[in-house]
Amino acid sequence: MPPASRAANGIVGGAVSPYNPGMLDQPQLAVAQRTNPERSFTEEVRALRLGEGEVFRGEGILAVTKAILQAGVAYVGGYQGAPVSHLVDVLVESQDLLDELGVHLETCTNESSAAALLGASINYPIRGCVTWKSIVGTNVAADALYNLASPGVIGGALIVVGEDYGEGASVIQERAHAYALKSSLWLMDPRPSLPTIVRCTEMAFELSEATNTPVMMELRIRACHVTGEFVAKDNKPPAISRNHRLAEPAAHNYDRISHPPSTYAHEKLKVEVRQPAAQRFIVEHGLNEFLPGARSDLGIIVQGGITNVALRGLDRLELEGRIPTLVLNVTHPLVPDQIADFCKGKRAVLIVEEGAPDYIEQAVHALLRKRDIDTKIYGKDVLPMAGEYTAEVMTEGLLKFFALSANDIDLSKPRERFEAARAGRAEAQRLLGGPLPLRPPGFCTGCPERPVFSAIKLLEREVGKVHMSSDIGCHSFATLAPFNLGNSILGFGMSLAAAGAVAPIMERRTISVMGDGGFWHNGLLSGVASAMFNRGDRVLVIMQNGYTSATGAQFIPNTAGNRRDGETTSDIAATLKAMGVKWLRTIRTYNVGTMLGTLREAMNTDDKGLKVIVADGECQLARQRRIRPQIAAQLKRGERVVRTRYGVDDEVCTGDHSCIRLSGCPSLVVKPSPDPLRSDPVAHVNNGCVGCGLCGEVADAAVLCPSFYTADIVQNASWWDRLKWRVRARVIGAMTSA
Amino acid sequence: MPKPVTILIGALGGDGGGVLCDWIVAAAQSQGLGVQATQIPGVAQRTGATTYYLEVMPSSGPAQQVLALNPAIGEVDVALATELLEAGRMIFNGFVTPERTTLIASTHRVLAIGERMAMGDGSFDVGRLLRAVKERSRTQILFDMDQAAEESGGVINAVLLGALAGSGRLPIPDAAFEAAIRHAGKSVDTNLAAFAFGRGHARGELEQAVREHHKRQAATSGVEDLIARARRDFPAASLDVVEEGIRRLAAYQDRKYAALYLDRLNGLPADLVREVARHLAVRMSFEDVIRVAQAKTSRERIERVRAEVRAKAHEPLEITEHFKPGNEEIAAMLPPAAARWLLRRRPFHISMHVRSTTVWGFLRLRLLAGLRWWRPHSFRFVEEQAEIERWLAAIRAAAPIGTDLAREIAESARLIKGYGDTYKRGLQNYRRIADEVIAPALAGRLVPRAAADAVANARVAALADPDGESLSRTLAAIASASQPLRSAAE
Repeated sequence: MPPASRAANGIVGGAVSPYNPGMLDQPQLAVAQRTNPERSFTEEVRALRLGEGEVFRGEGILAVTKAILQAGVAYVGGYQGAPVSHLVDVLVESQDLLDELGVHLETCTNESSAAALLGASINYPIRGCVTWKSIVGTNVAADALYNLASPGVIGGALIVVGEDYGEGASVIQERAHAYALKSSLWLMDPRPSLPTIVRCTEMAFELSEATNTPVMMELRIRACHVTGEFVAKDNKPPAISRNHRLAEPAAHNYDRISHPPSTYAHEKLKVEVRQPAAQRFIVEHGLNEFLPGARSDLGIIVQGGITNVALRGLDRLELEGRIPTLVLNVTHPLVPDQIADFCKGKRAVLIVEEGAPDYIEQAVHALLRKRDIDTKIYGKDVLPMAGEYTAEVMTEGLLKFFALSANDIDLSKPRERFEAARAGRAEAQRLLGGPLPLRPPGFCTGCPERPVFSAIKLLEREVGKVHMSSDIGCHSFATLAPFNLGNSILGFGMSLAAAGAVAPIMERRTISVMGDGGFWHNGLLSGVASAMFNRGDRVLVIMQNGYTSATGAQFIPNTAGNRRDGETTSDIAATLKAMGVKWLRTIRTYNVGTMLGTLREAMNTDDKGLKVIVADGECQLARQRRIRPQIAAQLKRGERVVRTRYGVDDEVCTGDHSCIRLSGCPSLVVKPSPDPLRSDPVAHVNNGCVGCGLCGEVADAAVLCPSFYTADIVQNASWWDRLKWRVRARVIGAMTSA
Repeated sequence: MPKPVTILIGALGGDGGGVLCDWIVAAAQSQGLGVQATQIPGVAQRTGATTYYLEVMPSSGPAQQVLALNPAIGEVDVALATELLEAGRMIFNGFVTPERTTLIASTHRVLAIGERMAMGDGSFDVGRLLRAVKERSRTQILFDMDQAAEESGGVINAVLLGALAGSGRLPIPDAAFEAAIRHAGKSVDTNLAAFAFGRGHARGELEQAVREHHKRQAATSGVEDLIARARRDFPAASLDVVEEGIRRLAAYQDRKYAALYLDRLNGLPADLVREVARHLAVRMSFEDVIRVAQAKTSRERIERVRAEVRAKAHEPLEITEHFKPGNEEIAAMLPPAAARWLLRRRPFHISMHVRSTTVWGFLRLRLLAGLRWWRPHSFRFVEEQAEIERWLAAIRAAAPIGTDLAREIAESARLIKGYGDTYKRGLQNYRRIADEVIAPALAGRLVPRAAADAVANARVAALADPDGESLSRTLAAIASASQPLRSAAE
């Protein structure tokens, strides 16, 4: 293993050997200086400045961002996560605008701190908006959320949740709807068209104020990214804000404290005052849309967010505009009279409600029963209880619905087309012969987290399989090919806590992996503090890359502050020391040998306490964004730049691909063997290589094969480089021809 | 009410599918066409499949009707794919249809991790993909867009945009697409160049030289007589392999060794020569440090590396080799007795980073390569020859029982390859198959037909996973299957 030396920033393995360029001998940017300058939203920021009458063009989530400024929010907060990250990301880039308007922006360290931010609207008539990825974020926020809902608000409070459901989702498939029901929050699910989304956003604040209740607005993945346009209004500077401060705090009012006896009053207020007020408001302001249709004996009640799929489904059956449809842009509370009136006199109504359980359908059944309305209700009996309502699912459901409820409608032609399409797919799948290779997400080229898992793979060769507790973040990709490492994921920052009861029953120590994002989100307290408190004999690896990379490289407390001001905040190692962690190592991840040695030590040391390895390496995506322009500029100025990349000698490689199984780097691919007598493809490093050096490190640490080489290309070479090169070329040339 | 043109895009993270989407939207808006796009962008990481879906109204004026956010099976007019497997995926999912869909796809493959990590060749059958592409879409615009991007100096998403413009499926003039690229303002010139390439290919105005992988033949002179002898003794169908074997082994060791190669092939049934000759040449040119040093110091190598890493002619290039020889590699070079002594000692490894572009570094490798004369006295050489003889004997013994069995035994040599642990694993697997399948087969304890299959299955199993689990399972299955026969034989 190459000798490790101490780098300036006190990180072991800063440089390895003069012969091994790549990440290891490149200066490591101290984590507190890591910023991600190339991520800019100039266009988006411009869109946020549009004034009265100008046409906004962009994605749904950006439209929401513009709408909250138009509604005069005084504060915004949130925790990043697809599909709503952009809301806060863009505002972070819009400091000037926020300063002018007096809007306070808080980039929270987790969703509960974001939810708690809304507490400002309990006592003060100011509007606030927070956002996060649901269902995960809503779970984390739940504590603050119901403490907010109970006393209620006097300033409009909006929670924009990205309903991460269906294709492309990365979380457990549950509905945010349940939280709205249990805490009496109002839930908006706007039809995915920008004007509707914008109107609902603005209305949400008024609804919130009219009913003293926080409003949740759920936007599905496709709705957040849907493009469109709407006519903008001027942004409204809030009356009370950081630019117009209050002289005095609100007078003490125990009714606003979520403690008994207030809580008993709150519970009654929710159902006796706030909910009826909300139902009145929904009707008066026409928040739900009624689409007329000739077939007055039939009807469809659909969640706003699913409307487009349903309407296109009707087109497909040549029924466009013929079926009366009630579009619920507000899915909680429902308005019993509105629904009853819609259903009255109809033979059958289909409820299109995505996901389980079928809250809306149950409620509709109950309210019709109470009113003795005998309209037949269809829903989860013709549409699936679980899973996304795709075009195909919707079509099948509609066909079933009409077959059962209106056999006078001739659907033979559409049905034939639909069946033909399915038959065609079956034929295509027969032609392709079975499932296609999957393309799961994986670590980027040059990712600093990959070497850690290469090291863990090698560790397992020595000590045997290890129980690995995984976490949320890029590193969770280690649970996929080629590493297939990890026994459980219990939530964001939970990996250490999740090993609490496993460690005591294991011969071998457990390894918990956590990102620095997860560490600050939850891992510090739920994991580290609890492990210290309980003297957990466990190993924790913290991936310190400096950002929450999986969500788009947002800043976190150990990055450069929460803004672009480069202000350093919290250091992980210092925090751990302060918490009393004795066994603590900080390692440059790319040094697989050192990483392996350190893991070995952590697994075998007699130290019975918590053992923490801070695996340090900057997110390569962010790093590339930063250095590419720098290098381009250097080259332009004619400065000497050494470009390093790796390669495989195709004459030496025999095509076993162990190197790929230990790395999975996207730039480490295969190509046909140049050997006329061999059939197995050989490994090949393509031009995506960023020269991180992992393949060389793995080849060394795992004693793979002599195929790998490092190539240093000297650009803008000095006269000395050229001279050396010429002389060497001549001598070597002579030797080869000799 | 006119129906919208539906467009589905399949891309890989990092291909710039989102930007492509924005370009199309901007171009459509500039023509006053109603347009809506949405995406499933996947995570920020640069792998994984991403999809984008757009609907564009065929005539100007804002879209009156509600546009959809989800593609529907059988209802996609234009499908774009930045890679062939992703095109296949859209077909597999039923979105691309012969009745309706214009498929615009790149023909290059970016292998998925499951395909790359296989111990042999794990790539999905391109033939199947192409057949599905041709049979399951209405019209196709197919070319290697990765290559086109490279040739144009641009990025693949701009090539794809050009191909879309060239297809003429949208009522949007080229100028509008180019304006969209300009307005986006990022690397405009290269993107415009790539756009032009894509459009040219789509309109058949550009020809694309097919990239092919050249097999490199060993260049050796002074073996003409051996080649002449081969032409006398062996069937024409096998000569390309046999002659390559002769040249390779003469270069690897010497004429004498190449002659031994021919002697070993003598007397094999004609229909076995080709396969055996192929594997025999590979086995006889086994990978020892001398061969590695030969490869790393060959005359063409430096130029090959230059081309591969794209070093410009005037740019100095430094190459550092990663070696980690251990007791086994050293023992391999020693006389057998000394080697056996060393192998009884504690294993060790030495990390070596040799800069083969420096005079001293190159000289060291050159000297190592010069040890060729000593090779026949080395422990590894002696061991390999014995293994080879046993393997040949098995093939010869199997020939009368059944040609298939003999061929499968020859083929099982594929398992023995690589260095260090890989080599040891391969050799162990081969020996297990030799003892537990080939031996009983030759002893007539397996039906010839079943025997050939058994050897083949065992070989496939050995290549299925590095831990040898599936091999153990397969061998157990074979053993139990052969039980009745064994008792019958006894």
